[in-house]
Amino acid sequence: MTAPTIRVVDLHKRFGALEVLKGVSFDVERGKVVSMIGASGSGKSTLLRCINHLETPSSGDVLIGGESICFRPGRNGERSPRPLSEINRIRRDLGIVFQQFNLWPHMTVVGNVIEAPRRVLGLARKEALALGAACLARVHLADKATQYPARLSGGQQQRVAIARALAMQPKVMLFDEPTSSLDPELTEEVLGVMRELAADGTTMIVVTHEMGFARDVSDRVMFLHNGLIEEEGAPEALFGAPKSERLRQFISKHVR
Amino acid sequence: MSESLHQAFDLGLFWEYRKVLIAGLAVNFYVFAAAAVVALGIGLGAALLRVNRLPVFRWLGTLHVEIFRNAPEYIMVVWVHFVLPLLLGYLIRTRLEFNPFVSSVIGLGLVYSGYFAETFRAGIENIPIAHIEAGRSLGMSERAIFWRIVLPQVVRRMLPESVNQFISLFKATTIVSLIAVPDLMYDVTMITQQEMRPLPLYTGAALTYFVVILAASSVLRALSERWRAKIYA
Repeated sequence: MTAPTIRVVDLHKRFGALEVLKGVSFDVERGKVVSMIGASGSGKSTLLRCINHLETPSSGDVLIGGESICFRPGRNGERSPRPLSEINRIRRDLGIVFQQFNLWPHMTVVGNVIEAPRRVLGLARKEALALGAACLARVHLADKATQYPARLSGGQQQRVAIARALAMQPKVMLFDEPTSSLDPELTEEVLGVMRELAADGTTMIVVTHEMGFARDVSDRVMFLHNGLIEEEGAPEALFGAPKSERLRQFISKHVR
Repeated sequence: MSESLHQAFDLGLFWEYRKVLIAGLAVNFYVFAAAAVVALGIGLGAALLRVNRLPVFRWLGTLHVEIFRNAPEYIMVVWVHFVLPLLLGYLIRTRLEFNPFVSSVIGLGLVYSGYFAETFRAGIENIPIAHIEAGRSLGMSERAIFWRIVLPQVVRRMLPESVNQFISLFKATTIVSLIAVPDLMYDVTMITQQEMRPLPLYTGAALTYFVVILAASSVLRALSERWRAKIYA
């Protein structure tokens, strides 16, 4: 049996005295789209940032393709924390798209996209540019390659951010509220690209407030509350017949 | 009265010696360029110490900045030229003498490394952590992130502030005349001793420095504005 693409095991995360994640466990199989919904402060972003180790979990483990990103196996079954070089190696399999795009302003659009393939994967300039062009074409921004990010709209910048993550050809794409910073008119262009990625069979974990996307595109939806998964299941079950009262209230507040 | 004033201010004398004086001005540029390289290099190193994770490195960086920012340029140049060779010579048991050009470059470079360290530090601390996290998420090493993402942005952001410090450094190069480095001021001083007409010579020197600095700073400011505007719309 092949290991699930992502396995989260009893994840806890504490910031000082505040415990944000109180024991979260779930699997994501290859090619599946999992949406995470919940109120602000429920721990959704922290969970995503623990998966690619931008935050170090207080306890628990995250396995990417069967390999732990938190610990390296030692002799006699002893585990030690992963050194940064190995964490970076595993991070290549995880693409992440942030709420604030986080593009680098001093590089062109295509420069942003090919920077990691060149520095991390060692691609030569010509191949990297070809890869960059292909990724930009996938997000329908091939004509903006030589522009600087400051000249693009929010929706275009976010699509460049998606292309930049795709350029590393990751196993999983993580999305941290990708449309929350966008004007409503610009949200749809980004959601459209995400829908296409899902249709292409990309494994995705999406933290989002866009209930329509969560309902239509996900294979599974998880509702987080106070650092725990309160309810999870197929979108029809979660949105159609929510079992928990909190989820019922959350849906009624957010679904138009 | 205007007759004698006109005679006193005869800048023709300054013009007469122009070859020597231009050579002197060139020395100012050489000292400036070399000291700038030293100041930028050491300044960057000190800034990196100041933002390091470990408190002992941060303390070393702060020590460097405080010592050299609070030292007058002239004192530092004189100390490097007269005291440092004695100290080092004592340590390695030979008689050492520093070339005054080298002493000036080291002295000025150290003083201005203190200023540039602070400029770099402010620039580094103002880079949004989000840009760095994006690099980490893509699997980039901390070193690649520093050279490709942090430093290029620091240079662009800190360029206006740096122009001011470069101007101060160029003005400070005039003090090298006091340890017999043949810059413009030194040449003017020597010629004045021969010609006994300080007015045109010193005024000419002052005007020369003024024109050079005004021209250079205008050009640098215009260039840096255009460079930044292209990126930070």
